[in-house]
Amino acid sequence: MNGLPESFAVTTRGLSMRYGEQTALDGVDLRIPEGAVYVLIGANGAGKSTAMKVLLNLERPDAGRVEVFGLDTASHGPEVRAQAGYIPESHEHDYKWMTCGRLIRHAAVHYPAWDHAYAEQLVRVFGVHPERRIGTLSKGETRRVQFVLALAHRPPLLLLDEPTDGLDPMARNRALTQLAEHLADTPTTVLISTHHIHEVESLADHVGMLSAGRLVAQLSRDEMRRTVLRYRVEVPEGWQPPGELRIASTRRSPGGREVQWTLVGEERDVTARLHAAGATVREVTPLALEEAALAFLGEEETA
Amino acid sequence: MLVNLDPQDARPLYLQIMDEVRRAVVVGTLRAEDPLPSVRELASELVVNPRTVSQAYQELEREGVIYVRRGQGTFVSPTVRRGAGERRSLAMAVAKRALLEARRNGVAVDELVSMIQKLAAKEDE
Repeated sequence: MNGLPESFAVTTRGLSMRYGEQTALDGVDLRIPEGAVYVLIGANGAGKSTAMKVLLNLERPDAGRVEVFGLDTASHGPEVRAQAGYIPESHEHDYKWMTCGRLIRHAAVHYPAWDHAYAEQLVRVFGVHPERRIGTLSKGETRRVQFVLALAHRPPLLLLDEPTDGLDPMARNRALTQLAEHLADTPTTVLISTHHIHEVESLADHVGMLSAGRLVAQLSRDEMRRTVLRYRVEVPEGWQPPGELRIASTRRSPGGREVQWTLVGEERDVTARLHAAGATVREVTPLALEEAALAFLGEEETA
Repeated sequence: MLVNLDPQDARPLYLQIMDEVRRAVVVGTLRAEDPLPSVRELASELVVNPRTVSQAYQELEREGVIYVRRGQGTFVSPTVRRGAGERRSLAMAVAKRALLEARRNGVAVDELVSMIQKLAAKEDE
């Protein structure tokens, strides 16, 4: 937007991966601009979690390359992981016998950039009880510890895999508020995957959509807002839409004289085509992120 | 100043924030030299991307509605009046929404205008 050439915190090229018969990633080219809050959307099993693990070299892809801050992940796994805060999808933890406090001190030693004062603040904000054992925590409590561990070293990259999963509504709100403050204080690139799209709607500025391992769309929120719109159109009876329109979802009134579509393209362009085909455009409305995402993923997939 | 964002609102968030600040100036809850919340505070309060707040503030600064005092924060411009320019942008936003609704309902512009005038006249009675 400001005319400067965009630099990317994360790029992948032709990332592909299979688990036996199942395709997890299929030729994925991610481009995550530095400083972006990039939301990865897709159905269960679409490849979101695998993508995050591959970025950290926790999984090795069958093909393709990953660069994180210019480092090849395959040969610089530890360096990349040192620069990342990661909340995994799983609530399982390896150190079940440790207390939360011990685990946090353990992490503090591991990360040179650990901010002790901030870690203490996070422990308070997330209501973590240092004396509790990891193995006795509920899903939500584990999540809160994971938030502390991911944020306290103020990493330049955050990978958050379903971060609000298991949190109660209050804790969810606190986590998202903390994230907003964190971004104001610390220059960070964030990759979030979530099924609760509306939760991150106001934080997201970039969006990627994964379907069956393929990245079917990747664009800025601004571009998405401009080019994925809902059209309400009046049409003559028996009317057929012009074939060249990219139609995502259709609703038709009884009698078929009013049609509502989500269409992808520049508004002026789409409107002109509809007019030329004999339709009258009654209303054009932008869509919430979730509805717009459905346009790319197909309604059955994100349900 | 209270900023409210409407998730159903079609406008981008930074525009909504800008309109909220303008509205506060026009109705007088924000006056010349009043401080605005910091980017961090507003981002936290609204749970929005701090960049979105920055963008709104930058645009408002360019329009001369607010200004930045280095190291001290963001303030409402001393020259800002609850007047012409701001009122106009607000009126335009309201009119746009009304027009959109009218179109959606197949109401013609002159019908809409005359109905608004009729209703307003009735309220004044």
